[in-house]
Amino acid sequence: MADTPAEIQKAKKLYLLIGMALFVFTVVTVAVATVPWLDFGGHGFDSKDAIIGLLIATFKATLVASIFMHLNHEKKTIYVVLLISAVMGVVLMFLTGWAFTDPIEYGNTVEGDKFYNPEQTTTSD
Amino acid sequence: MEIPYTVTARKDTGLFNSKVGIWLFLASEVMLFGGLFSGYVFLRIYADYPWPERALPIVPGLINTFVLIGSSVTVVFAWAALKMREWRKFQIYMGITIACAGIFMVLKGIEYKAKLEHQAVRMDDFAIIEGHAHYAVVGDDGQISHADTKTKAKKLSDSGAKPFKANAILFKPETIDFSVARAHQPWVEAVLEQAAKRKSKLVTAEDLFLYGSIRDYAGTEQEPLSSKGRTNAETELVAKYANAEEKAGHTFGERSLYIPAGTELSYDLVKQAREVYVSGRSHNAIARTAILKANWKKVKAARPEDKYWEQAPDAKIDAATQLEEQFDSEGNCISGSKVVSVVSTLSFQMSPPQPIVIDRGWVKRPVKAQEGKAELRDDTSFNAGSAEDSAPGLLNSPLILAVDAIDFRWMVQKAEEAGKDPLEVIEKSWIFSEENKHAKYYKKIWKNHKARIAELEKELLEGYGRDKEGNAKRVPTETDRYRITWQDLVHYARVDQHEGRPPKPSDKEYADLRPKFWDGFAGPNHKDEEIHELHAFPELEIPHQKVSLQSMFTPKWNTYYAVYFTITGLHGLHVIGGAIVLGYYLFFSKGLYRRNPEWLANRVEVGGLFWHFVDLVWIFLFPILYLM
Repeated sequence: MADTPAEIQKAKKLYLLIGMALFVFTVVTVAVATVPWLDFGGHGFDSKDAIIGLLIATFKATLVASIFMHLNHEKKTIYVVLLISAVMGVVLMFLTGWAFTDPIEYGNTVEGDKFYNPEQTTTSD
Repeated sequence: MEIPYTVTARKDTGLFNSKVGIWLFLASEVMLFGGLFSGYVFLRIYADYPWPERALPIVPGLINTFVLIGSSVTVVFAWAALKMREWRKFQIYMGITIACAGIFMVLKGIEYKAKLEHQAVRMDDFAIIEGHAHYAVVGDDGQISHADTKTKAKKLSDSGAKPFKANAILFKPETIDFSVARAHQPWVEAVLEQAAKRKSKLVTAEDLFLYGSIRDYAGTEQEPLSSKGRTNAETELVAKYANAEEKAGHTFGERSLYIPAGTELSYDLVKQAREVYVSGRSHNAIARTAILKANWKKVKAARPEDKYWEQAPDAKIDAATQLEEQFDSEGNCISGSKVVSVVSTLSFQMSPPQPIVIDRGWVKRPVKAQEGKAELRDDTSFNAGSAEDSAPGLLNSPLILAVDAIDFRWMVQKAEEAGKDPLEVIEKSWIFSEENKHAKYYKKIWKNHKARIAELEKELLEGYGRDKEGNAKRVPTETDRYRITWQDLVHYARVDQHEGRPPKPSDKEYADLRPKFWDGFAGPNHKDEEIHELHAFPELEIPHQKVSLQSMFTPKWNTYYAVYFTITGLHGLHVIGGAIVLGYYLFFSKGLYRRNPEWLANRVEVGGLFWHFVDLVWIFLFPILYLM
């Protein structure tokens, strides 16, 4: 991380550059979503547009985290904390997949029949 | 004792204390927003309705992205200025950062306001209509009149009655039943207010005796408790107090209440009845437990050799039989009347019956005329009279809108599930039928829309060709085909009323008439004069029985808005919180700057880290909510 005045002056230029890059990539995100000839995949929004949009967002987020948040200059301690956080964050995205095993939601399907047996349900008054 | 590493970093970790703290906090924030993003993914993947993709105007979202990125740059510059010991520059950069937070929140507020004012309706045939509800006013004669703005509606009433959004139900009840336990105070008071305004009273029709427990009113050692005793007490009381005033509010004991016929409704009365009701319920629970225990004892004594599961069927509490009073040899009541019958609803007669405006948000489910009642979510029930000349119940209360979007995607989904031709289903739907008095507008719009989409299909085919199997590589999306947006409505209206010959979809002029990208923010709206003249946002009068769900663009409308408000709301709170902390550095840290500028720089760095995180979340939110 920049600490001496000379380094900070240099870093300021970098911050400005990154700021500009973020502006440009924001415009790019909007362009790929709205301009017909930049439309990936089929016409209109589809999974390819989602992937492109999220990739650009991830790239922008990486710029913010590494330069503005100085992560490119940090030591191991921070990386360990953030690695755990990142892994957990990814795991979170898949947690909802457990909804597949919900016997009530899928009670009418063949797969769900394994879980759901109307005769076994009890009713109370 | 001096705390180490507040100003200088530890050599091994390269961190000062507060930086460790903020990073741990941000790690937990990743989990928080991660959970919400995960919720978004889940709701979107499993949505059983067409997801409103690209539903938000892009321009304000785009401006907000620029604003936040800009503020991220200025906050890091503010930190750099402190490192260089340039207080003035720090003030400027930090000031800009906080101003950016303000701009962001103002834009967000405008966006939220637009959502909360936007009416959405799901009709019973799954056509979705969006727009702005008209205003209505109930005149002194009980008649309803409509106008498209609040001011115009106000002028329609001589006595200055308050206009309301015409998404309400008008109901003329003979009686209203309030749930003692659940009656919602503001709704009870709203009903009272309206009744008073229309010179009507809500009174009980017959004497009511409410019991909170047995002992309170008749249970003495000399006179055992019994329903006979109870009836006697009631008769005596009615005889004793000749006039209603004396009777009103009389209690039999601490937890019982007597409401004579002709008592007027007040929320206090409901509240008193509620206390008695709660007391009665708890009394009964205790009594039933006691009865069950006694029964168990008897069964055990009678058949000691049986296992408990064999005894159990005979030891059940059967409320019906237990209400039959049983006395022991000394004449004490041992079971039965120990259980009081609780009164859970209070019924009031409306005399004379007058229309009550019921907010559609209050009702439990769509009100149907033939059911003769309207049930609110607090279990209040408005009932029509059964006699020929009594109150009719539901009055004609259509939902009138200035329509700015028509969406058939859900109808198409349902048609496809049923194996029907979507186009046929759409064209036979209510909106194009003769029952809709505005049908001609919608037929014209639909004709225009089909022509435009046919042209789009042609263009895509010419532009991108066919694949190996002979299918067009690019085709209009479901949204293109079945959702008519406000841009479309304005576009078609301009085309239809174009001077001279209306341009065809293939003409260059045709595309020029379409609202542009930047109109997405401050484009024409329903109050716009051009729009009024063109009838670009046509009127639609939806009979209330066709409305199966109506809502503003709020979490009630669909899961998209639920997740939108949750995530952006939480993000907005982060912006406000961050701005407060950064504002503290700007306005209250001159002293620290003089004493120990490096410490202040560290603080600003930590505050800045949080600020960048807020920006980082928005970087994901913008494409996910606005562009996908």
